[in-house]
Amino acid sequence: MITAGVDCGAKNTKVVILKDGNIVSKSTVLSGFDQKSAAQEAFSEALSQANLGKEDVVHITATGAGKKEVDFANNTVTEVGADAKGTNKLFPSVRTIIDVGAEEGRAIKSDGSGKVIDFAINEKCAAGAGSFTESMARALEVKVEDLGDLSLKSTKEIQMNAQCAVFAESEVVTLVHAKTPKEDMAKAVHDAIASRITSMVRKIGVENDVALIGGVAKNKGFVKSLKDDLGVELKMPEDPEYVTALGAAIVASERAGGA
Amino acid sequence: MAEMKYKTEKLKCWDEVKNIRMDYYKNYTEAHDKGGLRWAGGAWTLDAVPAGLGEDVYPITSEPYGASIAFDKQLSLECLEAAEKAGWARDLCAYMRNYWGSIILDKFAFNYKEGEFGPRFRGGDAIGFPKPDFLWQDHICCSHAKWYQIVSELEKGIPMFCVDVGVGPYTEITDNRVKYVVDQLKDGIEWMEKVTKRDYDDELLIKAVYNHCRATSKWAEVCALNKNIPAPLDEKSMYSLYVLGTLHKASQRVADFYEKILLPEVKDRVKRGIAAVGNEQCRVMSDTQPPWAFLKVFRYLEQYGCVSIGSLYTFGLIGMWEEKEDGSWGPKTMPQDQGIELTNRDEALDYYVRWELNKPEWQHFYSPQLKSEMMIRIAKEWKLNGIMLHYNRGCEGLSLGIAENRLALLKAGFPVMTFEGNMGDEREFDEAGTTTRMDAFMETLGVKR
Amino acid sequence: MIEMFKEWYENRHEYAKHWKEKTGGKVMGYFCTYVPEEILYAANILPVRILGSHEPQEVTEPHIFAMYCPFCRDCLAQGLKGRYDYLDGTMIAQSCLHVRQSFTSWQLHIPTAYSYYLPMPNHVQSPRAVDFLKGELERFKESIEEWTGKEITDEDLARGIEIVNKNRRLMKQVYELRKKEKPPLTGLEAMYMVVSSQMVDKEEHNRILVEALKELETRDIGREVGQRLMIIGSEDDDSAFISMVESLGATFVVDDHCTGTRYFWNEVEPKEDKLNAIAERYIKRPACPSKDWPERTRLPHILSLAKDYSVSGAILIQQKFCDPHELDIPAINKYLKENGIPSLFLEFDVTVPIGQFRIRTEAFLEMLSEEDLF
Repeated sequence: MITAGVDCGAKNTKVVILKDGNIVSKSTVLSGFDQKSAAQEAFSEALSQANLGKEDVVHITATGAGKKEVDFANNTVTEVGADAKGTNKLFPSVRTIIDVGAEEGRAIKSDGSGKVIDFAINEKCAAGAGSFTESMARALEVKVEDLGDLSLKSTKEIQMNAQCAVFAESEVVTLVHAKTPKEDMAKAVHDAIASRITSMVRKIGVENDVALIGGVAKNKGFVKSLKDDLGVELKMPEDPEYVTALGAAIVASERAGGA
Repeated sequence: MAEMKYKTEKLKCWDEVKNIRMDYYKNYTEAHDKGGLRWAGGAWTLDAVPAGLGEDVYPITSEPYGASIAFDKQLSLECLEAAEKAGWARDLCAYMRNYWGSIILDKFAFNYKEGEFGPRFRGGDAIGFPKPDFLWQDHICCSHAKWYQIVSELEKGIPMFCVDVGVGPYTEITDNRVKYVVDQLKDGIEWMEKVTKRDYDDELLIKAVYNHCRATSKWAEVCALNKNIPAPLDEKSMYSLYVLGTLHKASQRVADFYEKILLPEVKDRVKRGIAAVGNEQCRVMSDTQPPWAFLKVFRYLEQYGCVSIGSLYTFGLIGMWEEKEDGSWGPKTMPQDQGIELTNRDEALDYYVRWELNKPEWQHFYSPQLKSEMMIRIAKEWKLNGIMLHYNRGCEGLSLGIAENRLALLKAGFPVMTFEGNMGDEREFDEAGTTTRMDAFMETLGVKR
Repeated sequence: MIEMFKEWYENRHEYAKHWKEKTGGKVMGYFCTYVPEEILYAANILPVRILGSHEPQEVTEPHIFAMYCPFCRDCLAQGLKGRYDYLDGTMIAQSCLHVRQSFTSWQLHIPTAYSYYLPMPNHVQSPRAVDFLKGELERFKESIEEWTGKEITDEDLARGIEIVNKNRRLMKQVYELRKKEKPPLTGLEAMYMVVSSQMVDKEEHNRILVEALKELETRDIGREVGQRLMIIGSEDDDSAFISMVESLGATFVVDDHCTGTRYFWNEVEPKEDKLNAIAERYIKRPACPSKDWPERTRLPHILSLAKDYSVSGAILIQQKFCDPHELDIPAINKYLKENGIPSLFLEFDVTVPIGQFRIRTEAFLEMLSEEDLF
């Protein structure tokens, strides 16, 4: 049985196609203003990668902030539910899931079957970890993908108060004026975001094992800060940004009756 | 949409609810025309006390008025911005900022349209905020006394009296603590006589205390009927009903409404199995004031057959409760039913203060644990599947300790969803984000649309 | 001697632990300066004010909703991190709702052998307040007696009153020196003095204060005084902020903070009925904004301080989300302006964005010095 999961996120739309429980293709397209066509485009790309036609896919489940825009999906699942399913497939031992994306951070407590027990979503003030690192990278005049490696060079503790992104940005400006080395500032930014995420995770409680998923998980600097803050090991999938779409694809197979 | 299992019916008393509310604001507005008096104060206030000044004395309570503004999105935005422009912080109580804005702009949330009194948003001729003759407030949170201190300043010196009720939880009540509140009320009565130049009538006070006890006990009895499956009332309707208690619970009309109109009708609904939500398959409760401009989120839940049966807020701000012989929670026995006769000012005030300090939606000011215990009790007795906590940025007093309530409810085995918002400042509410959370919560509870 | 206060402040936990070892006495952590320390001293208990550490933290999110002030969360964080593990008891005197949550969450998650909620009246302007508080002090005293198993006699109370009163007298003498054209100490040093008095044994604090006063007679801060500033607002032990402002060449000469004058300004007036005397002192002390109603007594009090200390400008600063101060600051701002005192408004968080605040402070100081020219 072939199913698909479409995760229409704030920044990127991701598609995963599953065949009998195995991933056969995945694709990413910028969501942009027209989420509808982005979803369509991502889906077509995934199909062509797998040499499949639309008619081969028996069930499509959409998730993500723009899930309602995915008009070709059969149904939807929440991002929270999809995260739990996707993570459970990759790491059955995981009980605490941390998903950090462009605009939203989530912490989910789940049982051994991928069922959600409790969850927390970041509140407004702590929103946008992903976008925040991007704007910080701009302020530091480095590429966002270099920010992680840069911060790993630093061993300094600079305390920043990132309760509010606007406030944090002005703190960075202060550090720039104080001629603080870039690597130390990069680390300070990651520490600050990690601290907010840790706060959120503590709300639902940290139970081992813990997995980190979502696009921001690719940022090594952030991962190190989060590990240090939480004081636990983090399980990390190879493609952290696809876990939610994977979860949606699993839900699609369950709903199509082939779980 | 989940399957319809029960019959539903509109409440028959709906028109009367609307009439009581409109007459309340109309009477306040027109009080001076008939030589009467106007006063303003909080909904928590000991409103039986000014009743002793005469039967032509009309209040306007601040929180319901602030909520009325919040419901009128356009006016609310103007009011909030006016308060901010005058220098007040955005994170202060949202009712208070709406209320101040209404005074600063001199725009009242009600008016006349073709001679008929009603809410301003339906059009008509705008009127200014009818100035109260005096302010009669209670101090329950950091903002309460200060709210009217600033009103008094904005209105250039309207006389104000404020009673401090901060004497600790009811579980630790002592004579010294009751006496402090009673003594202030006595001072308040003398003060009112001075500022209104009227003689105080203890008979009217006693009558109002009885009414107050009757209204709050009968409202609790109504809420207790929601233990039934299907629930005869949903929380969205309860907001329109409980509000009468926040307006004028010491009045004959509100007490009569609860006892003689609402209670029989809800009993009848229970008898006939009439549901508030016909597809009821999941029962939750909320907490704190809702985001008034977004009550539709409750309708959203109904797609899942999810009914919010109320909250400690709706049950316990206006309702007075006690543990019954069988260990369950039920309406507090009224003095009239205990054979207690109040014969003079001292007795009336002493009884009244003890009655009010026992208010459920007050105990959490002293310990989140006291509130958690009551919430767990509701969750069990009202047979809930989960709880939605509104982390309300608009109210420092009722959001107090809410995070600890969450932990306690989880520990007791109840799933909890939280959503952030603001009862009176719609700029702080994320509707899409909230419905997304609700979807996830329903998924967690295993409830399907 | 002056450095001693800073040392105490920075090593508050070591001090308290050492005090316990040395004396075998009990330590009471308290949350608000309306707590009647006289009764604790009478019972030989060391009162220690619970304050934050000005570090970002991620342990309080499950306990206190983020709309409450950073100070109350910072305080609770100290408890959750185990930094106050030496406390035998905790207590609070009723004031704002924010810090009340630090206390109630502390009760739930960091239980101590003894815990007390003192319903300090909010309506301090009511003629009923003193009697009510006296009743509550009796109840509190009995509760302490039961806990320690030792009666608190009238002599004990007299001793407790004298220890605390002496500290107030000495602190006032120090503040008197700040009125001078060349104050012998900086605002930062004064802050350390007051805040340390909330943490260490006041008898010891008094001894050091006496010596410090001698030292201050001839002391010079080693720089120009610059603009004479007043600082007004909520709890403030933000040394980073105070020293930043003073590094710009200005000097704080007086304050209205509960970590400053509001804490020590008035004494217990001797009376036959000791508890009544204590009650009267707390009812009459310079009010916290949460208790300053229906009259605004803070306005004339602040103005008289500003005049007595020849202040040229005021910094109004509050903990973010602090409702009581948010309800007073617009009125204070207006009142100061009407009385010719310019002010700058800022908001504290656990840490302050020092660069941003520096720019604003510099502009403010520049404005003040321009006013001097005309």
